[in-house]
Amino acid sequence: MEVELIRIRNLKTWFFQGKGLLSKWFGQGLKIVHAVDGVSLTIRKGHTFGLVGESGCGKSTLGNTIFRLVEPLEGEILFQGRDVVKMNQKELRRFRQQAQIIFQDQFGCMNPRMTVGQIIAEPLMMRQREPESQKSIEQEVAELLNSVNLDPDAAIKFPNEFSGGQARRIGVARAIALNPMFIMADEPTSGLDISTAATILNLMQDLQDKLDITYLWVSHNLNQVKYMSDDMGVMYLGKMVEMGRTSEVFNHKAHPYTQALISAVPRVSSEQQEQTIFLEGEIPSPINPPSGCYFRTRCPQVFKRCEEEEPPLLDLGGEHFCACHLHDA
Amino acid sequence: MISEPLLEVSNLTLDYNLGNRKMRALDRISFSLDKGQVLGVAGESGCGKSTLGLAILRLLPRVAEIRRGAVFFNGTDLLKLSEKQMEQEIRGQKITMIFQVPQNALNPVFKIETQMTDILRVQDKYQNPGTRKPRGDFRQQAIERLESTGIADPEARISNYPFEFSGGMKQRVMIGMALSSGTSLLLADEATTALDVTIEAQINRLITKLAAEYGTSILYVTHNLGVLAEMADRIMIMYAGRIFEMGQTRFVLGDPRHPYSAALLESLPSRQTRGKRLLAIPGFVPPLDRLPSGCSFHPRCAFAEDICRQEVPPLTEVASGHWSACLLDQKRGRQKWKWS
Ligand SMILES: Nc1ncnc2c1ncn2[C@@H]1O[C@H](COP(=O)(O)OP(=O)(O)OP(=O)(O)O)[C@@H](O)[C@H]1O
Ligand SMILES: Nc1ncnc2c1ncn2[C@@H]1O[C@H](COP(=O)(O)OP(=O)(O)O)[C@@H](O)[C@H]1O
Ligand code: SF4
Ligand code: SF4
Ligand SMILES: [Mg+2]
Ligand SMILES: [Mg+2]
Repeated sequence: MEVELIRIRNLKTWFFQGKGLLSKWFGQGLKIVHAVDGVSLTIRKGHTFGLVGESGCGKSTLGNTIFRLVEPLEGEILFQGRDVVKMNQKELRRFRQQAQIIFQDQFGCMNPRMTVGQIIAEPLMMRQREPESQKSIEQEVAELLNSVNLDPDAAIKFPNEFSGGQARRIGVARAIALNPMFIMADEPTSGLDISTAATILNLMQDLQDKLDITYLWVSHNLNQVKYMSDDMGVMYLGKMVEMGRTSEVFNHKAHPYTQALISAVPRVSSEQQEQTIFLEGEIPSPINPPSGCYFRTRCPQVFKRCEEEEPPLLDLGGEHFCACHLHDA
Repeated sequence: MISEPLLEVSNLTLDYNLGNRKMRALDRISFSLDKGQVLGVAGESGCGKSTLGLAILRLLPRVAEIRRGAVFFNGTDLLKLSEKQMEQEIRGQKITMIFQVPQNALNPVFKIETQMTDILRVQDKYQNPGTRKPRGDFRQQAIERLESTGIADPEARISNYPFEFSGGMKQRVMIGMALSSGTSLLLADEATTALDVTIEAQINRLITKLAAEYGTSILYVTHNLGVLAEMADRIMIMYAGRIFEMGQTRFVLGDPRHPYSAALLESLPSRQTRGKRLLAIPGFVPPLDRLPSGCSFHPRCAFAEDICRQEVPPLTEVASGHWSACLLDQKRGRQKWKWS
């Protein structure tokens, strides 16, 4: 039987923006950014859930909310059945050892004055229970460096001595230090060249095979999500518009937004080239989303009902979900 | 009839001098680019792609030294022009470069309108010396250019500051500015790397439209071979300062004659199914002051033989218009470079 590791129900994370007392007291001029707006999803244990969507659609906010780096307005985040939203500080600390993040900007979140050894050892020192084995921290660091194919000498160097790809691997080493069950990887290969990206993808795949880690894989590279994920979700303006098995979503893309995204992926071989669906304009502001279907201002297939009614996320069968009136027969 | 190429780079060789280390970042680079054509450039980080663009525009840091070669642009060797001529006639006028991070190229304290009309004004001054029209005369023209880049509501948007635009919009303004400068050569260095697929597709469509409508030639640097498959007429693969392969897009991507090009293609996740490993070329691009002997790729090449450690492969025309720098390919004819 397949076990789910994470189940999210109706998660909302809004940001409130406004200056001055008027907006604080009376809500006057208060702007609400609907960054994540009622998202539900399930991540299967030992599998990878790919999350795609254009910049600003709420992917990182969703991930950050799972870790309670930002607080949700409402909703549930069940991690092995326990609600992260309701966890107290102590439970949260335990959760944050079982769940780790690999951030997009590796250099940005490494202290330049700490050696790589210290950076990787940091989570090891915060461990609550002592490990059974009597390994020294240095030994553990060396093993971690080895498992991400870095030379043990790396431990005594500083972050600025490494290339982008190596820094990314240091981030992976740090993330797996405490044997986590779950890792969120936010754009793990952005800015890397083709062969370095391939190295990181192989490494993450090997770690999953070996340690049965569950990934939430955030990327706007659809080829990568297709290659790396078992299930995927497509977000638009804070909402999930399509979700299902990755193969199913790619083969039977149901939402016009998914169709446009996939058609826009540049392909190397000419025979599988599809006609690109060009979306006009950009994603609207999440402060004033359009009425009805959020996608209607750019949708090539928009019709009257789209302006009036918000399409619900419907099950098309086979755990394939889509929020579009075209499928609401 | 022989068409004169717009850009002809010949034997360009450049070193970065760092103390007593001499890094050869460009080594005998020769290629040409015709009017209205798109030449794609790919290769791992540190192979010299950005250096090439900077050398053409002579925007090099002080430690860089051009050792030999020429950059003919419309028949004139840019390396022989004075700095003043480069600044007044070439940069931002006839040759424009757009970078990965558009934020830096737009001045944050001026409105989009000011920045666009500035360029139009300077251009007008060169075309009609002696006249000096006020900025307002160029507003309408700037709006039209902005509109042609697909920005909705250009009349209102032109009064915005750069921070009010998203990354994709800024990049389109950059291209709009390139347009408004009457550029005949656009150097795009990973110009869409940071953008979303849909915005990237918009920008690339705009660039292709530019090339077709205005006859602008484009040197397009990217890691994304898929993008090049769609928009480049020809592709150049660089490695450690050298050209390893060059030819028409469908031949370089469909029938690569160099093991390095074949490896880049096999590293793409789009070519592989879930669960199968991607090809990761072993090792790294070598430091440019300590290049391996013979073929500089030999320590990483799965097909290397003794000869590869001894002879430097020349860039040779292996089929009509298709150039490759692999000894085995040259000595034995076409090989199938299957890495995995
Ligand atoms: N702290 C904050 N305060 C106000 N608005 C915020 C904050 N953090 C994010 N937002 C807004 O929430 C929306 C979602 O942002 P988020 O960073 O989750 O997008 P994303 O999908 O990860 O985008 P990208 O692909 O660019 O990383 C955006 O409109 C963003 O501007
Ligand atoms: N200002 C500089 N000083 C010294 N070396 C440099 C400088 N800029 C680039 N290099 C070196 O030149 C080589 C080519 O760099 P670059 O042209 O930026 O490559 P690419 O754009 O292909 O990634 C690299 O080894 C890089 O480290
Ligand atoms: S509901 Fe209407 S506007 Fe929204 S995606 Fe479907 S067809 Fe397009
Ligand atoms: S010359 Fe030898 S080492 Fe170089 S690419 Fe060809 S086979 Fe490989
Ligand atoms: Mg993000
Ligand atoms: Mg570069």
